[in-house]
Amino acid sequence: MNKRIAVLVFPGTNSEEETARLLRDCGGDAHLVHWSRAQQLPTFDAYVLPGGFAYEDRIRAGAVAAHDVAMDHVIAGAQKGKLVLGICNGAQILLEAGLVPGTGKIRRPTAAFTRNGPVPHFVCTHVHVKLSIDPARSPITAVLPREAVIPSWTANGEGRLAASAEHLRELEDGNHVAFVYAHEDGSVDDSASPNQSALGIAGLVNRDGNVLALMPHPERDAWTFNHPDRRRGDAILAPSGGAVFFRSFVEAVRRA
Amino acid sequence: MSRRAVAINLKIPDNAAYTALVTLRRLGVDVDRVERSEIVRFPNAPAPGTLIAQVESNESLYNPNKHRVTVLDEDAPRPGEVWIVQDDADRPVGWRLFNASGKPANADVVAQAAERLLLNPAIERAIFSK
Repeated sequence: MNKRIAVLVFPGTNSEEETARLLRDCGGDAHLVHWSRAQQLPTFDAYVLPGGFAYEDRIRAGAVAAHDVAMDHVIAGAQKGKLVLGICNGAQILLEAGLVPGTGKIRRPTAAFTRNGPVPHFVCTHVHVKLSIDPARSPITAVLPREAVIPSWTANGEGRLAASAEHLRELEDGNHVAFVYAHEDGSVDDSASPNQSALGIAGLVNRDGNVLALMPHPERDAWTFNHPDRRRGDAILAPSGGAVFFRSFVEAVRRA
Repeated sequence: MSRRAVAINLKIPDNAAYTALVTLRRLGVDVDRVERSEIVRFPNAPAPGTLIAQVESNESLYNPNKHRVTVLDEDAPRPGEVWIVQDDADRPVGWRLFNASGKPANADVVAQAAERLLLNPAIERAIFSK
């Protein structure tokens, strides 16, 4: 029987269709589950929180959704080892829920993706993120090559990772920094980050490796038609696109 | 000239405040009404009447069809209120909670609301009413 992936839809989520479609194109059995049908969630094997503006970012980005009934089920599933992936607003929700980095209590965040620097502004640009953990550290990244460089689009006003110095040390010491911003050749420096994110962080993973929060959108650089170099092949999925990352997630769900 | 603060509220329904109310109740915080304000603090403010006129003439702060302005008695949160500061200490968001009797919530309730929902200590700090 196929492992089923729930793609959660909160009021204000806006990336659910392309996220579910890419999961299916990568071989996953993905289903949209609206917040009002949260009781269905325990029957799923994995969860993906897509991008958008859940609850209009009221109070803070991700804050209200993190306390939604749907997240009760996601938190319970994560604590049983189910795989959870959050992208952009989904990543913000996972941090507000305390699932990532998971070093504090549930729903007591120790970090946040917040207003971009140096001046708060919406950033919409093509970026690359580089895997900065051993692929085996997380089942979600397990089939990616070491130091894989994933092309993505960043599209947010609040994507800069911020935390206290103490909690940033905790992220480094606990090997929670899953992805950093990088140049296309994999080199890393301050100019690779579009928003002054602390430590160049683009993605975080929890202690057990089963929950991953990624700020940029690999699903927006996954099909050949939306890859920057549209001449590269006739295949549906782009040869170097963000589909690589989603394939890795789907494979992890299959193995789980 | 003295230090003053104004609270700018929506006079149309405030969906964010209502969402905060529903979420706080779900979290078990005993609150009956939530009022959200944009607080603007002025280090050298003129007399209250002049200050209100200045704020009401600033179109980036005030829309007469949507907002009402109140000059606060002190440059500090009112009873039942917590100010959440992110980047700019002079522009916090004020969350004022009221109990079922219509009175400002007590300090314990406000502290609970901040801890459970209104404050992310990783990026924000809270200023409570004295």
